[in-house]
Amino acid sequence: MEKIILDPIDKKEALRYLGYRNTKLDDNILSLIDECEERVRQIATPRYVYKVFDFEEKEDGIILEDTNLYMKGNSITNHLKNCEKAIGIAVTIGEGIDREIRVLSHTNLAKSVVFDAFASACVEQVCEKVEDILRKEFKGLNMTFRFGIGYGDLSLSYQKNFIKVLDATRKIGINVGTTDMMIPTKSVTAIIGLTSKEIPRMNRNCRDCNLNGNCNIQKSGNRCM
Amino acid sequence: MTKKEKFYDLLKKDYVVLDGGMGTMLQASGMKVGETPEMLNITNPELIQSIHEKYYEAGSDIVYANTFGANEYKLEECGHSVEELITAGIEIAKKARDKVNKNGLVALDLGPIGILLEPTGVLSFEAAYDMYARCVKAGASAGADLVVFETMTDLLDIKAAILAAKENSDLPILATMTFEQNLRTFTGCSISAFGLTVSGLDVDAIGINCSLGPKELEPVISELSKWTNKPLCLKPNAGLPDPKTNLYNVTALGFAGYMKDLRKYGIKIYGGCCGTTPEFIKEVTNMLKENGNIQREYVEIKAAVCSPTKTVVIDEPRVVGERINPTGKKIFQEALKNKNMEYILGQALEQTNAGADILDVNVGVPGINEVEMMVDTVKSLQSVVDVPLQIDSTDPKVIEAALRVYNGRPLVNSVNGEEESLKNILPIVKKYGGAIIGLALDENGIPKKGDDRVKIAKKIMDRCVSIGIDKKDIYIDCLTLTVSAEQEGCRETLKALSKVKNELGLKTILGVSNISFGLPNRVLVNHIFLTMALQSGLDLCIINPNIPEMMGAVMAYKVLACHDLNSVNYVAKYANMPKLKTVAVDNTGNSGNNVVTTSINLNDKKGNYEISDLSYAVKKGLKKEGADITRELLSKFDSMDIVNKALIPALDDIGAEFEKGTLFLPQLIMGASVASAAFEVIKENMQQNGSQKVSKGKIVIATVKGDVHDIGKNIVKVLLENYGFEVIDLGKDVPYEDVVNAIRDNDVHLCGLSALMTTTLVSMKETIELIRKNNLDCKVMVGGAVLTPEYAKEIDADFYAADAKESVDIARRVLG
Repeated sequence: MEKIILDPIDKKEALRYLGYRNTKLDDNILSLIDECEERVRQIATPRYVYKVFDFEEKEDGIILEDTNLYMKGNSITNHLKNCEKAIGIAVTIGEGIDREIRVLSHTNLAKSVVFDAFASACVEQVCEKVEDILRKEFKGLNMTFRFGIGYGDLSLSYQKNFIKVLDATRKIGINVGTTDMMIPTKSVTAIIGLTSKEIPRMNRNCRDCNLNGNCNIQKSGNRCM
Repeated sequence: MTKKEKFYDLLKKDYVVLDGGMGTMLQASGMKVGETPEMLNITNPELIQSIHEKYYEAGSDIVYANTFGANEYKLEECGHSVEELITAGIEIAKKARDKVNKNGLVALDLGPIGILLEPTGVLSFEAAYDMYARCVKAGASAGADLVVFETMTDLLDIKAAILAAKENSDLPILATMTFEQNLRTFTGCSISAFGLTVSGLDVDAIGINCSLGPKELEPVISELSKWTNKPLCLKPNAGLPDPKTNLYNVTALGFAGYMKDLRKYGIKIYGGCCGTTPEFIKEVTNMLKENGNIQREYVEIKAAVCSPTKTVVIDEPRVVGERINPTGKKIFQEALKNKNMEYILGQALEQTNAGADILDVNVGVPGINEVEMMVDTVKSLQSVVDVPLQIDSTDPKVIEAALRVYNGRPLVNSVNGEEESLKNILPIVKKYGGAIIGLALDENGIPKKGDDRVKIAKKIMDRCVSIGIDKKDIYIDCLTLTVSAEQEGCRETLKALSKVKNELGLKTILGVSNISFGLPNRVLVNHIFLTMALQSGLDLCIINPNIPEMMGAVMAYKVLACHDLNSVNYVAKYANMPKLKTVAVDNTGNSGNNVVTTSINLNDKKGNYEISDLSYAVKKGLKKEGADITRELLSKFDSMDIVNKALIPALDDIGAEFEKGTLFLPQLIMGASVASAAFEVIKENMQQNGSQKVSKGKIVIATVKGDVHDIGKNIVKVLLENYGFEVIDLGKDVPYEDVVNAIRDNDVHLCGLSALMTTTLVSMKETIELIRKNNLDCKVMVGGAVLTPEYAKEIDADFYAADAKESVDIARRVLG
C-alpha cells in the first residue's frame, strides 16, 4: 500500500473553514497559523483503505455485492448511474489529532480552533492523494467525485456498516459510535464510481449539501469544494 | 484439575499451537462481508464446527470459539443475546475438540467492544467492564477453558476486559494487542506500556496478533519480550494484503519459515490471524516438531511507570510535579469543592510544560467525596497529559478506585511501616500492578535516626516481596524534616536515603520543600538540599517544576552525573535563555520568574498604563500583556471601572467586528482569552480584598449526549464568562438528566445546548423535552453547525444562536 507523504497544508482552505474573508491579519495570528500548519503535519498519521465492489442497482438504492450493505437514496443511485463498479474508501489522519485538539482547548482556545481547521484541511489533502493513487491504479477508467456517507439524501446511519464492510476498524483504526460519528474525528468515508464510459463531469455542489443555506463558508462567500 | 492448572499444564509443553483465521475461512465459504459472523453459531453450526475440526487436525492445541464480536454493542440488532451466541459458540468448539483432539482447549475469544472508550470515545470504563463481564460469565458457564482478548488497540479497554475476566471467572487469560509498523497501536499505546500494564495485571500469557505478517512483527515481538516475563504469544496475519484483491502475500510454508526465525524471542504460543488457514497451522506445527522450540530466559525488566503513550524509565533522576495538591492552597480547595476540573488541568499542563516526568495527584479536602473526585480527576488528567500519574491518598478506597480506572501503570503514594497500612495498601497495589512508595515511618512516627528509617524500609520491602511486588517497583521516602527545627535531621535523612539505595538496593523518592520551612529565601535552601539528595542517590524528586532553580538543579545534576549525555537536554533548555537582570526570590518560596518582559510597543509605557492600553491588548490578542496591564491598573483604578470601561467595550468592539466579518473567529477567541486572563487577575484581587463576587447570572451549557464536539461550546463559554455570566459547563456527551439536574440544583434560567451532527440533534430534542417536562423556569438556546433557526423552533428551543457572539446577546437579553 502506497505510503502517503503530506504536503504543506493549504492555508487558504483552512482559513476558509474558519470563515475568513480576506481581512488583514496581525503577526500573532499569522504565526499561530504557521504553527498549526506545522503541528498538524507533525501529528497526523495518514492512513487509508479502499475496496472495489460490484454493485446492484435497485429502484431505491444500491447493494454492494457480496456484502449486506443496501444503501437507499436517490443521490447515491444517481451518483453511480453509468458506473460499472464502486470503490469504497475510508481515510483518517489518526487519533493523535483529537488528543492535541483536546489539550489545546484547555491551554489555548484560539489555537485549538485554528488547529482543528488545519486538521480538516489535512484530511481533505489525504483524500485527494488517495484519489490520485486510485486514478493511477485504475488507469484508463473514469472516476466520479467522492460521495461522502451522509451526503445528499444518503443517510449517515450506513456509516457503521460501511466501516465494517471496509474492515476499516481493524485496518486503519476508525471506530463508529452510537451516533454514527467516526473516531478519530478527522476521518472521511466515501464512494467513488468507476466506469469505462465517458461521464459528465459532476462535482459536489451546495444544492445537495445538508448545510445548504446554513453554512458558514457559504455565508463568507466561499465554497468548501 | 482447575482450568488454570490445565492451561499451565499445557504451557509445560515445548510449544503451544493456536488456530488460524476464522473470518478468512468464513468468507471463503460465502459469508457476506458486513454480516455478524457469530450468527452462524445458530444458523450454520456445522460450518463452524468443521473449521474448528480442521484446525485441531492441523495441530492446534487451542482453538478460539466463534465469539470474537459477541458483545452486547455489536449484537444489538441481530436478535440474539450475548449468552445465546457465546454458549452456542463454545458448545460447537467443544464438539470439535471432543471429536478430534481430546486434550485440546477451547478459548472464549473476545475482541474490542467496537466503540472507543472515553476520553476519545463515549464508552465509559465502567460500561466497558460490564459488557466484558457479561461475555466472560457466559463463556465460563458454557465451559470455556480460557479467555482470550485479542486485536485490542486501547490499553484501558484491555484493562477493563482483564479485570472483568478476573473478577467474574477463574479462567486463565491470554491478552494480545495489535500494533502497527510504528510500534504503536492505533490509539498510540506503546509496546512497553502494554507489557508493563498487562503483566502487572497478572494475566497468564501475553502477546501480539493481527495487523502485519510475521516478518513485519519481528520488531514488535522483540520489544515486547523486553517488557514481560509472561509466556509470549504471536499470532500474525498471512503477510500484508493487496489493497485491490485483498489477498495476503505470504504462503503457508513461508509463514512457517518466518516463525522459525522468530523462535529466538522465546515465544511459547504460536498461531495465525487474518489470511491464515489450517494449512498455515499445519506448517507451523511441522516446523516446531522438526526444529523444536527455543525457551525463554528470565529478563530483568526496567523499573518504570507509564501511561499508554509514555513510559518513564527510572534509570536516572526524574521529576514528580507536586502541585496537584490542595494542602494549604485556598484556591485549589475552592476548585475541588466546585469540581472545577479546568483549574486542575491547568495546574497539570503547567507542570508538564515545565518538564515534570510524573504528576502527583492528591485531591483530599474535607467535605468532598474523595473517591469520586479522584476518579474524575484521573480520567480528566489522562485525557490531556501523557505523563504517568502518582496516586496520592491516605484512604485505601480512594487508591483502589483510582488504580482501577488509571490507564497504564501508576505509582501509588503511599504505604508506610504501620501494620494497618501494609495490610490495606499492598494487596491493591499488587492486584492492579502498580509501583509503590513506602514512607519510612510507622506507628511510632518518624524515627530520629536514619538507621531506624532504613529498618522500616526493610520491613516494607520484605512485606512487598512476600506479596509478590517486585523489589524494583518499591520507592522509599526517607522523609524530609524541617531544618530550622531539627538541624541534624537533614543529615539523617540523607544517610538513610543512601543506605536504602545502596544496601537495600531500592529506589528512592523525596519531597524536598519541607526542609526550608520557617527560613527566609526558601528556594535557595530547597535547591541546595535537592542537589545533596541527588548526590546521595535520589531517584524521584518531588518538587514544584515551575520554579526554575529547582528544575535547574535537576538539569545541571544530570549533566554532572553523566545522565544527560553531551549535555543535549541542558543545552536545549538553556541555550536561548534570556539574560535575567535580577533573580527575584521572595521569602514565600516562590521565585520571581517574571522578569522577562515582552517586546511590544506597550513596553515603552511600562508602569504607566492607561485604561485604553488594556482595550488595545484585548483587541490585539496579547494575553500576557493583558494580565500584566490589569495588574498595574488595579493599583490606580477600581476593578469595576476596569471591567466596564476597558474590558466590556473592547469585547463589544471585537464582537461587532466579528459580526461585520472584519475580524475572524480565531481573532475573536484570542481577544476573549485576553479578557479572561484580565478577569482572572481581577478575581484574585477581589478575593484578596474580600469583595463580593459579581455574577450577572448563571448559565448551564453542554454538548448533548452522544456528541463529543466541544470546541464551539468552549468558545461560547469563554465569551459568556467574559461578560460576567457564571457558566456551569457540563462538558460533552452529557446525559439528558444531568442537564435537568444542573438547571434545577443551581436555580438556572438559561441553558445553552450544542450539537454538531445531524444524528445528535435528536439528543438535543430529547434534552429540551426533558427540561420542559420538568417544568423548569429556564430558557433554552441552541447552536451548532448543522442546526437551523427553523429546526431550533421545531425542537422547542427558545433561541437559536448562529455563533458565540449571538449567545452573549441572548444571555444579555434573558438575564439582563
